[in-house]
Amino acid sequence: MATFDSQQNSWTAADVMHFARRAGFGVTPEIAATLAAQSPSSTIDAWINQTADMTAFNTALAKADVVSTGVNQSIPADPAPHPFRLEGWRRQGGIPNAQGHFAWRMQFNPNPLQEKLALFYHQLFATGAEKVDNTAFTVKQIDLFRAMGTAKFGDLLLAVSKDPAMMIWLDTILDRVRPGSSDVPNENYAREVMELYSLGVDNGYNQQDITNLAKAISGWTYTPLDIQTDPNNPQVQRGNDGTFHVNMTYHATGTIQFLGGTFDIGAPTTYGEGCITAILTQRGSNCAAFLAKRLLTFFVNPNFSSAALTDLQALVLAQNFDMKAILKAVFKSAYFFDISNHYNLYEGPVAWIVRMSRMLCPSLAAATVPTLPSFPAWRAVAPYFHNSGQNILDPAGPNGWAEHTGWINSNTARYRGKLAASLALGEVLTGSQQLFPSTVASWFPTTPSSPQAVYDRLAALLQPATVPAPVQATWLNGLWTSGFSWDNSTATQVKVRELAFLILCSPHAQLH
Amino acid sequence: MSSRRQFIRTTLAGSAALAGLTACSGGSGTSTNGGGPPPPPTPAITGPILVLVQIQGGNDWLSMTPPNSGANGGAYANNRPVLSAITANNLTDLGSGVGLNKDCTGLDLLHAAGKIAWMPGVGMPNPNLSHFTSTDYWGEGAAVPDGTGWLGRWGDAAFSASDILRGVTTTSDIILMNHGRKRDFVAVTSSADFNYPTYLRSSAQVPDSNFLKSGYAYNLNNPGTTIDVAAAASEGKLFYDAASQFSTLITTRTPSVPYPGDTGYAIANVSNQLSTQLKLVAQMIASGIPGQVYTVRLGGFDTHSNQVNDYPKLMRALGGSIKAFYDDLATITTTVNSQSVKAQDRVMVVGWSEFGRRIKENNGGTDHGTAILSFALGNMVKGGFYGQGYPDLTKPDTNGNMVFTTDFRSLYATLLEKFLGYSDSKGILGATYPTLGFL
Repeated sequence: MATFDSQQNSWTAADVMHFARRAGFGVTPEIAATLAAQSPSSTIDAWINQTADMTAFNTALAKADVVSTGVNQSIPADPAPHPFRLEGWRRQGGIPNAQGHFAWRMQFNPNPLQEKLALFYHQLFATGAEKVDNTAFTVKQIDLFRAMGTAKFGDLLLAVSKDPAMMIWLDTILDRVRPGSSDVPNENYAREVMELYSLGVDNGYNQQDITNLAKAISGWTYTPLDIQTDPNNPQVQRGNDGTFHVNMTYHATGTIQFLGGTFDIGAPTTYGEGCITAILTQRGSNCAAFLAKRLLTFFVNPNFSSAALTDLQALVLAQNFDMKAILKAVFKSAYFFDISNHYNLYEGPVAWIVRMSRMLCPSLAAATVPTLPSFPAWRAVAPYFHNSGQNILDPAGPNGWAEHTGWINSNTARYRGKLAASLALGEVLTGSQQLFPSTVASWFPTTPSSPQAVYDRLAALLQPATVPAPVQATWLNGLWTSGFSWDNSTATQVKVRELAFLILCSPHAQLH
Repeated sequence: MSSRRQFIRTTLAGSAALAGLTACSGGSGTSTNGGGPPPPPTPAITGPILVLVQIQGGNDWLSMTPPNSGANGGAYANNRPVLSAITANNLTDLGSGVGLNKDCTGLDLLHAAGKIAWMPGVGMPNPNLSHFTSTDYWGEGAAVPDGTGWLGRWGDAAFSASDILRGVTTTSDIILMNHGRKRDFVAVTSSADFNYPTYLRSSAQVPDSNFLKSGYAYNLNNPGTTIDVAAAASEGKLFYDAASQFSTLITTRTPSVPYPGDTGYAIANVSNQLSTQLKLVAQMIASGIPGQVYTVRLGGFDTHSNQVNDYPKLMRALGGSIKAFYDDLATITTTVNSQSVKAQDRVMVVGWSEFGRRIKENNGGTDHGTAILSFALGNMVKGGFYGQGYPDLTKPDTNGNMVFTTDFRSLYATLLEKFLGYSDSKGILGATYPTLGFL
């Protein structure tokens, strides 16, 4: 575990920003300066323990309207309860609403790691909402990731295996083997849970293991659909909560061989659960390596060394797959803060636009003041997620997305440009409503004295990798061709916004 | 899983068996046109355009072109008691003991006209039943995988610096097949507003797009630029350059025939997933976009369950979209070297999937299998059956899957040498593979 033995005992504001970009969705320079004065260990502990007060966030969440795109310009004194309309069985409109809901939570959650881990696990256990066809179940799965993000990985793996959205997505509910019959099981989940979610392709299992695991989980399902009207809001109808149970008519019984062990899959109360658990117990080393790769790729260094992988694998095993302990060890390590690990990872498009909106749009406290522009219209932005490379909540396949370099191609460049224009240039959707409400004045707590000072402040907010000085000079000389003055004129605001746009579109701003 | 470099590492290790192949047993230059219609005269291929259709999810082609007689027919019926009962009464006889699912709208007509080459049993010696690993194997198409795709390597070798739009995909992602060492294919997912935001192009504002262009150039020419920044700059510049060409060429177009999903299309409720992409390809061809290879995708073929209901819909989307596209091309006249050429005489459509599916059905569908059905379709194609024959369903491998008959790289060698006119297929594929005789 040598890679992670050395601790980061002190840090700079730049280190804080690096940590916050990876373990969350960034912090402003002001917050970074405050945290830099505190010890890394206690700050990282609090961040991972998710100790920030959620009261204001929950209050705002219940009243935030990012769905009806025409109303985010003003907030009534007493907004109506929760308008996200995530009721599941009525699918139409459900996915963009849920995407908007997820993005809103990423932007404002005072415990950002909760959302970052939800995103990490969503990218791992990628489940497509279109096939699930029940937005409530889709949201329920993301809630599972929020609740168990720092739990033991094995516990989460079992919970995901019994999650209704997953059981629909990979056909567990259609895996039917009558006891004593020669019915052929449906292999879909049995294959993918090992290939994609715990071990890696062909890493410690064979076709017979797949077939037998499919028998072990046959008959797994959830409670039947039961539509109920919300008594507090007759417009809203909700499906059942998807409680897991085993349909014994379609559950195979007897003993099977799986990953070298023998399992009684008809044993009461578990009915095959032991086989899911056995993935970690029978193939712990393989699973630890798999998880280590995912963690390194998502949080630290996608081009990790074999030593880093081996050391994190050992750490995962030593911590018995306890994600809280693992994350603390990783984020407190000097390795994580090594300068070579800054800006070596392309940021996913949703995390990217969320982080940039956190920097340029009002904070939660400011956004909930009725006189300010309020929240980004995430419901209207969500349809751009697909072409920017990450249609969150609705991936095309169970392998999710090719992360890191997979985020970058000519098409994503096209659509990141559109998102950047919406955010930086203040794109107006209808009337005077901005998709991403912001004011240039709010970006500058002190008056900049030169074009370079404007750039430096925007760079501190948007935090790109260092843009070469000649490129900066080209931009600044082109924008401020005849001297510099700072005022509230449209001309000044246009220049500042265009400079923010150029930074956002630069190759350096795609890294984090 | 993640980075290209990482991919290269893992692929080099994981594909050792595949890489060990230097030649294949499958493939030949002879047609086995078993009783089909006589091939029509072959038109000269002027300005060839290849449209590759990715049938994503693992096409259960035993339900598309099932055996309808002989030992294979018996094995098929025995292993598919539910699915075979449905397809048995819904087939057009193709000859050679094979039928075509009538839900695959329109391909029966093109077969009768002698315009489809069927290649059952295309695959590889060491197949992988993972969607993603197998898709990468198909993408690599190399004797020695190096993290690039066979079309990407062809682009590296054949494209000039100004050939920005010669390789185009209509998908929003770039699969390994389209990834070259020097450059990727360009993704064009829609023709509307394929440009920088309007604001930047308005004359009243500072010409920001020039700033972007100069920034890309600086970063790509500066030796101190990191690999990651250079890659992002390269993709940004690729879109910038593509948009600059595309926006000057593209014209609006109304298809000459209804496609699946359109008002007026004869069958209701057919997915427009593929037809939307093929319409876009037709629009690009009609506009004179210099694309030589287009890759498109139809997903949804991972039919582990509910196949009885889902597969006919997939067939209608696949067959109907391709037939409409073929018909639509008849009305497009293009210019090649100052000569007028019908688009229909330039375009060949080729279908592929990452694998076929298990011979034995499960309780409602089929699980992952091995060898695929490929097909090539166009006016320049000599219709019939090609390759080393239909897999023997009575002799599956130890996992109950088909044993391939024709190496997939024979198909690639054929496309490179005999259609795209690139003679050095060995340089792209890493070894010499026999070509097939459908061109």
